[in-house]
Amino acid sequence: MQKRNFVSYFLVFFVLSLLIFGITKTGFLNPLDSFFKNIFSPVQALTYGAFNKLTGFGQSAEIKSLKAENLSLAKQLVDQNKLVGDNKALRDQFQTVSPKSPGLIPADVVGAPGFVPGLSTPETLILNRGASDGVKVGDAVVYQNNLVGEITQISSNLSSVTLLTNSSFLFTAKTLQTQAMGVVKGQGGGEVILDNVVLSDSLKKDDLVLTKGDVNAQNVGFPPDLTVGKIASVSKNPSDLFQKAEIQPLVDLSNLEKVFVVINY
Amino acid sequence: MKFLAIILLSLGLVLEASLTTIPFVFLILLCLMVILRENWLFAVAFVFGLLFDLLSFKTVGGTSAFLVLFLFLVLLYQSKFEITTRYFVLIASFVGSFLFLWLQGYTHWIIIQAVVSSLIAIGMFELLKRVAKNKFLISNS
Repeated sequence: MQKRNFVSYFLVFFVLSLLIFGITKTGFLNPLDSFFKNIFSPVQALTYGAFNKLTGFGQSAEIKSLKAENLSLAKQLVDQNKLVGDNKALRDQFQTVSPKSPGLIPADVVGAPGFVPGLSTPETLILNRGASDGVKVGDAVVYQNNLVGEITQISSNLSSVTLLTNSSFLFTAKTLQTQAMGVVKGQGGGEVILDNVVLSDSLKKDDLVLTKGDVNAQNVGFPPDLTVGKIASVSKNPSDLFQKAEIQPLVDLSNLEKVFVVINY
Repeated sequence: MKFLAIILLSLGLVLEASLTTIPFVFLILLCLMVILRENWLFAVAFVFGLLFDLLSFKTVGGTSAFLVLFLFLVLLYQSKFEITTRYFVLIASFVGSFLFLWLQGYTHWIIIQAVVSSLIAIGMFELLKRVAKNKFLISNS
């Protein structure tokens, strides 16, 4: 073979390849590319399926059946573990005096947008209950007698809960021992404060903060005496109008799997 | 021989696109180029490179460029060394498979895969050499 001869062949096909590569990278060939991929993907699926069947040809029926049984048992184990967890959560909730059980709907947490374990704390949760289950915007979400958050968005089958640590969260509350009144404000990043407490009121470390109760005539809102958390530290300055306290929620909001929506107080 | 090459390459293409990471198309093309040293293999490498990219959902043109370039390098060696030998095929297929797998983004076990590829290439080379020899004898008789 003459050297010059094969060099010209090489140059033609090499330049052509690079040209196609470059054009594909820029996206000009995308429609053509997806057209060919659409044509080839069934072929590929067919050959993959055929070869899979061929590779499984030597397996005995017993091994195949054992593999299927193994898969089914693994699924049963996962289902059973979930049932045990659900059962425990329900038992804990229904042993709680307030809120009353008939007004509660159990809901599974199915999402926590923007939550990265170890990096951020959840600000909202997505529940698998929606308008078709009787959930309304403004309903309180609890775990046992602890306030978790408020329903802020609903669709027919899902709802979004704004957690009490969310910076847009705001409601009135009182302390258990000293009966000091104030406004609970989410600070984001898992922090909550009790603000706007007049200086004449007394705030004590480790005192519990409870909801004051703001259920309206449409039966929407927070019932009274739900636990928000306990006071971790108090910030009081004589020159300020109000004092404030840092609240530590008693529930680990990043670890919730099942919660309850208060639909009827 | 062209017909046999196309059949073998098609089979290799299907295997490579759906089942294995062993670069069959590259190995077949390498063996054919070492034995036949014909220019139409550049065109075949170009077309099968495009088909491989389409089947494996990669950027079209990359594999073609690699195959055409590698075959060119193989042909460049023929002026200095005898390339129709097992040793050359062994080394070229090992280096080529390693580079191909690395460029395709594989990181696990690529040396072992390159070794297996070079062993497959030796077997393929011996087989194709015999077929080519028989064809030559038949066409001369």
